[in-house]
Amino acid sequence: MMKFYIHKTTCISPQQTFGDNINIETLHPSVDNKLYAIEPAYPQFKGNALRRMSKSTRIGSGAALPLLAEAAQPDGIIIGTQVSGMEENGKFLNQIIEYNEDMLTPGSFVQGTPNTISSQIALISNNKNYNLTHVHRGLAFENAVIDVAMLLNENPQSNYLLGGVDEISFNNYTLDTLAGWFKKEDCLNSDMYNSVTDGSLSGEGAAMFMVGDDKQNAIAQLKAITTIHSADVEVIRIRIKKFLEENLADGEKADLLLTGENGDKRSLPFYTSFDSLFDNYTTIARFKHMCGEYPTASSFALWLACNFVSGELTMPQHMVKQQGTATDFKNILIYNTHKVGQHGCMLVSVPA
Amino acid sequence: MDRIVVTGIGVISAIGHSVAENHTALVQGKTGIIKGGGNFPSRYSGILPFGEVLIGTEELKTKLGVTEPGVTRTTLLALHAFNEAIADAKLTQNQLTAADTALVGATTVGGMCLTDELYANTHGDAENIEYVKSFDYASVNLYIQTRYGITGVINTMNTACSSSANAIMYGCRLIKSGLANRVIVGGADSLAKFTVNGFNALRILSDEACTPFDQNRKGLNLGEGAAFLVLEKEADAAGKKIYAEVSGYGNANDAYHPSSLSPEGDGPYLAMKNALDNAGLKPADIDFINAHGTGTENNDEVESRAMLRLFDSLPDFVSTKGFTGHVLGAASAIEAAYSILNIDRQELYPNLNFKEPIAGIGLQPVGVYKAAAIKHVMSNSFGFGGNCTSLIFSKV
Amino acid sequence: METTELKEKLKVQIIQFLNLTDLTPADIKDEEPLFGDGLGLDSIDSLELIVLLKREYGINIQDPKEGRKVLVDINTMAAYIEQNGQK
Repeated sequence: MMKFYIHKTTCISPQQTFGDNINIETLHPSVDNKLYAIEPAYPQFKGNALRRMSKSTRIGSGAALPLLAEAAQPDGIIIGTQVSGMEENGKFLNQIIEYNEDMLTPGSFVQGTPNTISSQIALISNNKNYNLTHVHRGLAFENAVIDVAMLLNENPQSNYLLGGVDEISFNNYTLDTLAGWFKKEDCLNSDMYNSVTDGSLSGEGAAMFMVGDDKQNAIAQLKAITTIHSADVEVIRIRIKKFLEENLADGEKADLLLTGENGDKRSLPFYTSFDSLFDNYTTIARFKHMCGEYPTASSFALWLACNFVSGELTMPQHMVKQQGTATDFKNILIYNTHKVGQHGCMLVSVPA
Repeated sequence: MDRIVVTGIGVISAIGHSVAENHTALVQGKTGIIKGGGNFPSRYSGILPFGEVLIGTEELKTKLGVTEPGVTRTTLLALHAFNEAIADAKLTQNQLTAADTALVGATTVGGMCLTDELYANTHGDAENIEYVKSFDYASVNLYIQTRYGITGVINTMNTACSSSANAIMYGCRLIKSGLANRVIVGGADSLAKFTVNGFNALRILSDEACTPFDQNRKGLNLGEGAAFLVLEKEADAAGKKIYAEVSGYGNANDAYHPSSLSPEGDGPYLAMKNALDNAGLKPADIDFINAHGTGTENNDEVESRAMLRLFDSLPDFVSTKGFTGHVLGAASAIEAAYSILNIDRQELYPNLNFKEPIAGIGLQPVGVYKAAAIKHVMSNSFGFGGNCTSLIFSKV
Repeated sequence: METTELKEKLKVQIIQFLNLTDLTPADIKDEEPLFGDGLGLDSIDSLELIVLLKREYGINIQDPKEGRKVLVDINTMAAYIEQNGQK
């Protein structure tokens, strides 16, 4: 069964989601169509430790360390990412061209590999256990979630650090804009859902979770997950309907839908179709105006879901697309798409 | 629990464009590492030795019937090996598209083999935008998925040199957890200025053919290629050729340094130990080790120490990187294929270019082709970031 | 260039090249070991410093092990540059 309990979670994102003064009521605006992460001071990185870190490694490690500080060594570190290290790769690439492949500095090459995040966390915490990096684009985080669910079945009474991390880099922003995934015209995050053009806004973030199979002290439960590869709206609709029937008890409904609607008109049909599966009981909310579009954005949604289900945070009005009659968020359904063809669904609930 | 068995293999590397061609070269001790093969435009072509796949990208496209724009060399190599593997396993179209067929791949280069195009695109040249959608690692598997209509779990991993070992391990776990009934697992990497210059900047490329486990080793040679395995439950493999069982796997992290292994080799040691525990085997049960053996000063010494730590009596071992070069994200999959051939044919292939054991360690790999009674083979991969994975294959 | 001037320039370059944003040139003593105890640089830094020597001073050190003999502290680096520098 693909499920586990989440005990702790942290998030560094373009909103005030990290540290002592978490505040998601205030929506920080995008700048130049980008939502850059608000980074903390990282007091735990001593001396010159930060100099070697790509932004992804910095925000990934920065988000992970508070979770590791209080807990015993996790039995594994599993990260989903796609574009981490692209800024460093870009630097190395520029060197290749500028110096015509002669005498290059290796630092940015080493920092540009996507497994640097999980490795750096292992290095800092001296963790020699299972360590894996999933890079399957818009399902990188979902694959990491499935990996952890399998690990818990294989190794009962374990705990794992699970994360989703991606960064905005000059290279991936330029390439994705050229490919039509980011808006070419100016657009503010507070307006993005009204847009009728292609593309979304670029975002980044690191969301980390300590997960295990022990219900005690859990703040949330991942009840089920599914991944779908399709560009057919009807196929998605049928699959998700089946997912809901299989994973919600008779009479149970999703109290809240968190959808990855992102202002790109090409993915809107999927979200519209998805919304129509629910009646006026379910509140429908959106999250990408907060974090932007990036391959592992569903990890940001999971962080939100954990905080809503546990009552740690109240959902701000700026997220609400359609207010439902549900008064408590006991079952939260996350539905996200990435670049149209990849779809992920997660059911998050109160620990049971 | 049903055993997980290998029912299909596909390989393309510097020593051949099929399993059969690779096998012939392995038996004959014929290396694929050369200077200036002609398919890799770089200032180092002709200067540094590489394990090049001697077939041009356009020719690969034609052979594979690829007409879509934006398909990179890495994807073409993957497709080539994938095709051989699924044909070998006699997978039907229905099976390929079934929801219980998974595809788990790995690559460290992905679309970044197009270094110059990538640079041009990000510096304003919008003319050559054929590849803007395929620069990432997932583009390889996403192409295969679309081409064949695969609907099951699809995943791509990148843990540097151990990437495809993790893909193989993950595939096994998908079957055991019930998320798949058959998996096609492996990896692909093509030569790229990106990785060539990265490794050169780290000063670990040798200007001669690599000499794994030799006292005078000077570094590694990069290679390119791809390999895929089809894994199924034994009960589903009735009537099919079964090459071997995947009997164990282990993953650990060295947690020491981003690009070199700890002197004691904790990561390699733990990965190997975890694989043995997972297989329910003892060190003495292993008949042969396909070592990571890149030919770098650091890896070969540390790997030797880790092996000596674990094995009271070290079995025969070999690095096959003297044949293919280090194929990074595809290395483990290619070497898994070779390990499976060791079992299937009951023979060992030599560690090329070895002359003198490492001083203070004194280990000697197998130097010549020989027939051998092989029941359990361990195949190891130790990567950047301390990502270490060990696989065990066994005779069925 | 005067040796003191060269040493100060070197410190600025090392800080910039290795992104040692926590440090100022005044923090680096001429005789402080660059590796191990002292500045605490590592093997990747030594490769980067070899590139620095090539790009800024035209010095080509082929073997990283030879490089470590030069890259002991600011004093040895400056002395080597004075002897072998092309620029």
